[in-house]
Amino acid sequence: MLRLGRREFADTDLLVMAIVNRTRDSFYDNGATWQEEKALDRVRQVVAEGADIIDVGGVKAGPGEDVDAAEEIRRTAGFVAKVRAELPDVVISVDTWRAEVGRQVCQAGADLLNDAWGGHDPGLAEVAAEHGAALVCAHTGGLAPRTPPHRMGYDDVVRAAVADTVALAERAVSVGVRRDSILIDPAHDFGKDSWHSLEITRRLDEMVATGWPVLVSLSRKDFVGEALDLPVGERLNGTLAATAVSAWHGAQVYRAHDVAATRQVLDMVATIRGTRPPARVVRGLA
Amino acid sequence: MIRAAAVCPQPPLLFRELAGTHDAAAALREACHRAVADVLAASPDAVVVVGGGEASASWDAALEPGPGVFGGPPGTARGRLPLSLAVGRRLLAEAGWAGPVELRAVAWGASRAEVEQLGEQLASREDDIVLLVLGDGSARRGDKAPGYVDERAFGFDAETGRALAEGDPAGLLDQDAGLADELMAGGRAAFQVMAAAVRAQGGAPQAKVGYSDDPFGVMYVVATWRM
Repeated sequence: MLRLGRREFADTDLLVMAIVNRTRDSFYDNGATWQEEKALDRVRQVVAEGADIIDVGGVKAGPGEDVDAAEEIRRTAGFVAKVRAELPDVVISVDTWRAEVGRQVCQAGADLLNDAWGGHDPGLAEVAAEHGAALVCAHTGGLAPRTPPHRMGYDDVVRAAVADTVALAERAVSVGVRRDSILIDPAHDFGKDSWHSLEITRRLDEMVATGWPVLVSLSRKDFVGEALDLPVGERLNGTLAATAVSAWHGAQVYRAHDVAATRQVLDMVATIRGTRPPARVVRGLA
Repeated sequence: MIRAAAVCPQPPLLFRELAGTHDAAAALREACHRAVADVLAASPDAVVVVGGGEASASWDAALEPGPGVFGGPPGTARGRLPLSLAVGRRLLAEAGWAGPVELRAVAWGASRAEVEQLGEQLASREDDIVLLVLGDGSARRGDKAPGYVDERAFGFDAETGRALAEGDPAGLLDQDAGLADELMAGGRAAFQVMAAAVRAQGGAPQAKVGYSDDPFGVMYVVATWRM
């Protein structure tokens, strides 16, 4: 059982977390939902396409425009309140590393704090505990927020990701976050070169075997681009292949730009696995 | 005595197996091969590889130089050498060098006194040696660079490039360690060991630059100094 805010999900449910950026400069959408009304339109669209979670981000993951906490709060908290009011059942996540931002967005109705920078601000877990919010615990190899990897070596990248995310998860439990409200994320491309992200994908079952629900954020990332030598606009097929492999290994939550396609891949994998019945079966049975 | 020195950068990409099917580092690797072949033509008694590391230390040249900590196809060997020395070891293997190799790491943050001491040790050798020095310029040369942009990187790298091109040890020794660190310039200490060694030995090196570019936001220079 996975509890995200007021919603509960079975262990076999595969969930799509739709990316909704409140930024001008994120790597794929380049400000497409910078305006609040456009962002609200995207939320409506992705929910209609089958998103279970929306993930609101106020700061580009890579280097770029400086965004301080006050500006990040301006970009996210009011927007979370509007989504909460319009769509009471959707799970609202906010992608932030800052405890002060986490506190404001939880007060505005966020259910999940996506700490994509791996516990850089340890206070974020306490904020999740205070507000009964869920928490994502990610592996970054110790990088400061918004830092690209540079010649980072691992004896075993999967073991490092498991050790760090499980330690963050246990710490979160120790400060009061509900055990059934914690996800772990190997964080493809964060603190990793493409070989590392490919190995994480190939061996994702080792993260799943920890028993913590696994979130993966694969969408249009550089490891897909480098595998296929394609720019961000042409990485959907590669993303979906990585999605299918991750689903087969047992990851539960998929952070994605392309919600309808991701939903379809996850439904197909769940049907192959036998955890979801086919939609309509007649062939050979008439 | 030091007969010649080759300077090459130290990106993991110089391991061909890390670069994938389309080799983005081919031109750089070829320039490194030419530089290493040039200095090995001096037929030294030994090659001393000098590169940055966590601490100043000698390393066993028999250790596995594999780049597996950075990935690679499944089964890629995980070496124990510092990256700089592993790259040097690989370049020597690719050059077909079968003679003696010594591996010397110099701490990234080594002081002026420390690099001078290491350099003077090399200059006092009685056998004929060639140096293979691994290091790069700033990794902060663009918005896609590993360290994003720091405008000071361009002046810093220009001065390093000038000193390497002109065979000017004093120019390398004058580079500021603190600034190099802020600019993620991983060659400062190793270049200064070479500079201190050449200065201690005396004479004017004949310098040649075989590559100077920053295709991935990190400054790479390939150069040779003949004594």
